[in-house]
Amino acid sequence: MDHKRHNGSRLMGGPSQAKRGKVMGEWEDSPSQFEEELSMFEEADMDAEEMEGQAGHDVIPVGDLFSADLNPRWRRPPAPSLDPSSDTLVFQQIDLDYYLGETVAGMPGQSQGKVPIIRMFGVTDKGNSVCCHVHGFAPYFYVPAPNGFTSAHLVEFKKELNSAVLKDMRSNKDNISVTVLAVDITRKESMYGYHGKRIIDFLRITMAMPRLIAPAKRLLEQGFKFAHFPASNYQSYEANIDFEIRFMVDSDVVGCCWIELPKGKYRAREEKSASLCQYEVDVGWNDLISHPAEGEWQRIAPLRVLSFDIECAGRKGIFPEPDKDPVIQIASMVQRQGETEPFIRTVFTLQSCASIVGSQILCFTQETRLLQSWAEFLRTVDPDIITGYNIQNFDFPYLLNRAAALKVNYFPYLGRVRGIKSVLKDLNFQSKQMGRRENKTINMEGRVQFDLLQVLLRDYKLRSYTLNAVSFHFLQEQKEDVQHSIITDLQNGNEQTRRRLAVYCLKDAYLPLRLLQKLMCVINYMEMARVTGVPLTYLLSRGQQIKVVSQLLRQATKQDLVMPVVKTEGGEDYTGATVIEPEKGYYSLPITTLDFSSLYPSIMMAHNLCYTTLLQKGSVEKLGLAPEDFIKTPTGDLFVKSSLRKGLLPEILENLLSARKRAKAELKKETDPFKKQVLDGRQLALKISANSVYGFTGAQVGKLPCLEISQSVTGFGRQMIEQTKQLVESKYTLSNGYQADARVIYGDTDSVMVKLGVATVKEAMDIGREAAEWVSSHFTPPIKLEFEKVYYPYLLINKKRYAGLYFSSSASTHDKMDCKGIETVRRDNCPLVANLINTCLQKILIDRDPQGAVEHAKEVISDLLCNRIDISQLVITKELTRTAQEYAGKQAHVELAERMRKRDAGSAPNLGDRVPYVIIKAAKGAAAYMKSEDPIYVLENNIPIDTQYYLEQQLSKPLLRIFEPILGESKAESILLKGDHTRCKTVLTSKVGGLMAFAQKRSTCIGCKAVLKTDAAVCDFCKKKESELYQKEIFHLNALEERFSRLWTQCQRCQGSLHEDVLCTSRDCPIFYMRKKVQKDLDDQSKLVSRFGW
Amino acid sequence: MFSDLSVQKEGSSLLCRPASEDQGPVFERTSLAYSQCSERYRIGERSFSRQYAHIYAARLMQMRPLLSERAQQKWGSDVVIKKLCDLEPAEQCCIVGTMFKRMDLQPSILKEISEEHNLLPQPARAKYIHESDELILEDELQRIKLEGKIDKDKCVTGSVIAVYGAERNDGKFTVEDFCTADLPLQKARPALDSDRFVLLASGLGLGSTHADSMLGLQLLVDMVTGQLGDLGEQSGAATISRVLLAGNLLSQNTQDKDASTKAKYLTKKTQAGSVDAIRLLDELLLQLVASVPVDVMPGQYDPTNYTLPQQPLHRCMFPLSSVYPTLQLACNPYHASIDGVRFLGTSGQNVCDIQRYSSRDSHLEILEETLRLRHLAPTAPDTLGCYPFYQKDPFILEECPHVYFSGNAPTFDSKLIKGPDGQEVLLVTVPEFSSTQMACLVNLRTLHCEPISFSAFSADEDEESEMNVSH
Repeated sequence: MDHKRHNGSRLMGGPSQAKRGKVMGEWEDSPSQFEEELSMFEEADMDAEEMEGQAGHDVIPVGDLFSADLNPRWRRPPAPSLDPSSDTLVFQQIDLDYYLGETVAGMPGQSQGKVPIIRMFGVTDKGNSVCCHVHGFAPYFYVPAPNGFTSAHLVEFKKELNSAVLKDMRSNKDNISVTVLAVDITRKESMYGYHGKRIIDFLRITMAMPRLIAPAKRLLEQGFKFAHFPASNYQSYEANIDFEIRFMVDSDVVGCCWIELPKGKYRAREEKSASLCQYEVDVGWNDLISHPAEGEWQRIAPLRVLSFDIECAGRKGIFPEPDKDPVIQIASMVQRQGETEPFIRTVFTLQSCASIVGSQILCFTQETRLLQSWAEFLRTVDPDIITGYNIQNFDFPYLLNRAAALKVNYFPYLGRVRGIKSVLKDLNFQSKQMGRRENKTINMEGRVQFDLLQVLLRDYKLRSYTLNAVSFHFLQEQKEDVQHSIITDLQNGNEQTRRRLAVYCLKDAYLPLRLLQKLMCVINYMEMARVTGVPLTYLLSRGQQIKVVSQLLRQATKQDLVMPVVKTEGGEDYTGATVIEPEKGYYSLPITTLDFSSLYPSIMMAHNLCYTTLLQKGSVEKLGLAPEDFIKTPTGDLFVKSSLRKGLLPEILENLLSARKRAKAELKKETDPFKKQVLDGRQLALKISANSVYGFTGAQVGKLPCLEISQSVTGFGRQMIEQTKQLVESKYTLSNGYQADARVIYGDTDSVMVKLGVATVKEAMDIGREAAEWVSSHFTPPIKLEFEKVYYPYLLINKKRYAGLYFSSSASTHDKMDCKGIETVRRDNCPLVANLINTCLQKILIDRDPQGAVEHAKEVISDLLCNRIDISQLVITKELTRTAQEYAGKQAHVELAERMRKRDAGSAPNLGDRVPYVIIKAAKGAAAYMKSEDPIYVLENNIPIDTQYYLEQQLSKPLLRIFEPILGESKAESILLKGDHTRCKTVLTSKVGGLMAFAQKRSTCIGCKAVLKTDAAVCDFCKKKESELYQKEIFHLNALEERFSRLWTQCQRCQGSLHEDVLCTSRDCPIFYMRKKVQKDLDDQSKLVSRFGW
Repeated sequence: MFSDLSVQKEGSSLLCRPASEDQGPVFERTSLAYSQCSERYRIGERSFSRQYAHIYAARLMQMRPLLSERAQQKWGSDVVIKKLCDLEPAEQCCIVGTMFKRMDLQPSILKEISEEHNLLPQPARAKYIHESDELILEDELQRIKLEGKIDKDKCVTGSVIAVYGAERNDGKFTVEDFCTADLPLQKARPALDSDRFVLLASGLGLGSTHADSMLGLQLLVDMVTGQLGDLGEQSGAATISRVLLAGNLLSQNTQDKDASTKAKYLTKKTQAGSVDAIRLLDELLLQLVASVPVDVMPGQYDPTNYTLPQQPLHRCMFPLSSVYPTLQLACNPYHASIDGVRFLGTSGQNVCDIQRYSSRDSHLEILEETLRLRHLAPTAPDTLGCYPFYQKDPFILEECPHVYFSGNAPTFDSKLIKGPDGQEVLLVTVPEFSSTQMACLVNLRTLHCEPISFSAFSADEDEESEMNVSH
């Protein structure tokens, strides 16, 4: 459904993962015929079920979480019986949380009161679900022991802290008597700064509950006094670690890893099971074995992935409201991870619905029953992962609110734990990568919510995020887009119209599954969870930092290092990119590009930059270090060398990069496509993780920012780029026997572009390889300069803006056209800009025809002025996120939405819709925001487009940018923006507004535009040219008709039905406006031609 | 065919002394009763606000009773004829529906204009079939995949057929047999007492860059107007009572498709590329219409509308010839009764389109197939441009023609076929004149058709070719 809001999609900001870019689609699959695909799904054993489903009308008694068993195929495979004394239980853990509960007899840990219990959910190899309660793990943190503290003071300290915490509590509803479980002395060292390996006494304070850590920490920091020790402010360590992460670090559990419970070490719950899982067990936290994701433990259990979509019948002109508008259909598809097709396809419909081959249809006459049954369906299917498109912010909230409005009491139990209601919460989420956004969250214990929209927003930079646009982008498949006003009509029709809606709804449920598969999201995210050691759910709900924290802690624990809690204050994040001033121009010679591979990680490794090696002011003297023991970075910060102490961060990075190497090597050997995907996902996850370490040290609002490190890293980077430039320019010279003096024309963060003066790509590659090796020898390993690619030709526009043909694998054929920072993907301008720039670049670079590019640009400008550009090319789209009153300034799309509401409330955009508009000609001096108009309205009423706006505001800057290096700065403007091609204009006369109501239209001669008295085609003077004039017009008509037939039959094919009208209103579809416009043009042209008489 | 006449007439051979000017015999051209029946292909008020679903719906609705009847004839009167929505798995039954062939190679305008691919033209292909193609049968409400005893490569989108078989568990329909609507009923053809001929020609290709076909064309005109050969041949020519030009009077070169895409500032002063060729055509027609009635059908490259049915060429383009009442500007498709013989045919777009989208290559075979499908242009509107008709599909054959032809074929071919109800139809593929220098003559009395070649400089001299009008 299109009417889902996705808040803040315009807030996309992070460049870090955008590198993956878009997957260039091959046209492997033409628009699929979805219904046929549906029918294909059906397997041999589906026969009997259709009947049961149809019979399901209103026979389900209300009462339990599971009432009628609607379909035996929904359930998980039966679980073999489990004997803890002789069977080992092995499962892949996919979600992990904790709760406060009563202790279970025989399990370790505190015996009275409520205790924190870790709960792991997972799936066995056979596909049986497991809920595992892990007992005995308690939260703790550290403070340095005060001077003179001995084990004799422990009891006193504990007692005092305990009473202080108890006193601090405002209420004590859990009736906690013991807050501090234990205080021990351990030998640890602070992670921050080098202190000559001074291991000191730390107090490890174990609390009864995770939520008690914060007050204890606060009390200790504010000044804590006990026994004879004076009041002092204790710096706390590791007090800000999530309990789950704490547990995972201490027990070596990483996200999505395999857990083994050895026989005899665990207990199975027979009765009183708390969860809906097939196995429910209790185990002590010391007794479980966590397998690192290597060898056979890389496999992935047959997880169940559920994808669903709902349709609601809204009222005209109003965004569906859960307290008023019914949910009419819910389509669901369930697929086992690793299989290619879903094995369950169902639609729950309100009112009868004709059958769809291959899918089970369950019809209900009451909406309450529909919701109730769907919740039961979900609990029966017991999915591990739930996906869909914008389910997080639309489908789930709507369902929960609707169920509440209808008082479907058994609905909101969607998790795997009995008795825990799924509740809707608002969540503000902020990250550097994503910007700020408001999300809704729903708790669903034991199931991972994997909203595809959220994944795409995180990982891909796209022009539009509607499901339609996304599936066209990645799958080259257009999806029929049904406007919501039609949805209600279809619902109110007959069972055939509802069937059509159901097919549409099923497709919306199916596409997320296909996209997940195509983009390998589940696998990549799982590998990321394994590599960084955080639960899968964190990857979508949390930022980047937690991943680094998890790794840092794992490494620190091994070396008895503890992480301080630092107060974070806001401030500019330190980002220092290094740029050698570009020598702008069009280079028709091969330009060799040398890159530092993993620049920042390798700098940190090479120079041993870490928290643990940082020398704070005065440390050198205090510790009496010799000059050869430390280095001074370009920013003046001091770090000890690895001979004294090897840093944690370098170690983490080494592990990550060597693991990446291993994964890549395995990837080469692997033949099984599924395992290949896993390995590829892993190496990508490793790379991203390695790069995020640097960001972690530079994040000011972070867990442990350290500007000394991040500044030094960029400092080194800058220095190395400069040094590379000098080295290359000193060696590759005419005087040294090379063909020309090499010249570094541009240098970016981690790469330099060198003009070597050679004529062929091959030579450029050869010298490039040699130069990379030679320059590398001047740097500390593992810093390595690599030859990566040759650009030929190369158009350098400005800093971070360039384009070129990319040669890397072969010297004879280019791999792609590489464009950086050029208006080819930006979303805030109209598609015309991107397309024109793209085409011009292709002409310049691929065809090597700069003149042709100029001609093309001129033609497009002329077409624009003559109103011959397809209007879809001119559409600018913005999301309506707030009402007009809430926006500070007047904005074009908001004003338009208001105006459209006045015209027709039914079709006006609602909050959350994307508003497409074009800029139209208006009276002189009209404010820009008043010049926006609905493209359809423009087409229908012949409203003239403000072509000057498009030329001046949209096209001119980007065009001049790419042509200035070629034509020269002054000439580019005069050639492109002035000249013959700008003098031929077509001005439309609007059908609405102004004086048009008073004007009378009179025919003019088609030949000479003389006003005619009759409606004939030509005047007497032009009569002798009638044949010629006719031929010109008839050819135009001919061309339009061809276009008309091609466009409309395409839509007919796309929607997968020949006998039904095309309803699709997908404005993202490239032909949406075209087909509308051609209809109109054709009618006009027909009228014109008919003046000649048929 | 005229040679027998010339042998009989003594002394009037070309080798004898010319008779005095005023004594030359005058051969009266046989004239025929003629009526156009192409009302259904004329479109008055045109509107493009409708979609193509209606024509498919109308087609299926009109064809369903015909196919049900055929199905009962073929598989017994007790055969179960079902709609797709009532289909039960594994039940043997018959389904009537519109065929849709999903084709990966099919050119798609979406792909052409998609932003990432705006510069990659899709490779031009002679055929778009591929092994991954899938056949789908659709009725008003649902669709189903077809498998089994049906050759997907021979089928084309838009044909309405009846299939017999059963739905399998995987949701596909296994076809055991299928049938088409087959030939409609035919009106009896009047018995004629003498031979009279209609000359069919197509693809004159005026305005092409190479002019070698012009001589042949002039020969054709001279032959028809009786300025060629001896008296016998002249008297023979007099029996040609009508000339039918089946489309593509102009060459493809006269189409400048660029004109519509090129920027206006570059094309303002230019005129349509067809202007000179049309002038030539006018002069050519003038010669013909002065002595014989001529029907002119438009074709793919002629200056009229694109979609079928193509409307007649406009009179204003023929200032010289259009003053003669003998010039008939006709529609494409063409339907007329000439001396009671029903002629139906097209300029060949329908056949060429099927050729591209199926494995069939022979125009004659395709022509017959469309007759068997009882539909002139099944691929319209899918791949063949077509006016968005509403509530009717004028391409369904309502009565069986006696002569069924298509123009612009690569070679001449003809065949007399018989229908299940005793229909007799002459199928003719009229060769493209500009490449073959051939036309053909249909004898209205016998329904015989013979090619007639005007190749002036034929490569193989020994054939009875050059300006030989006697076969």
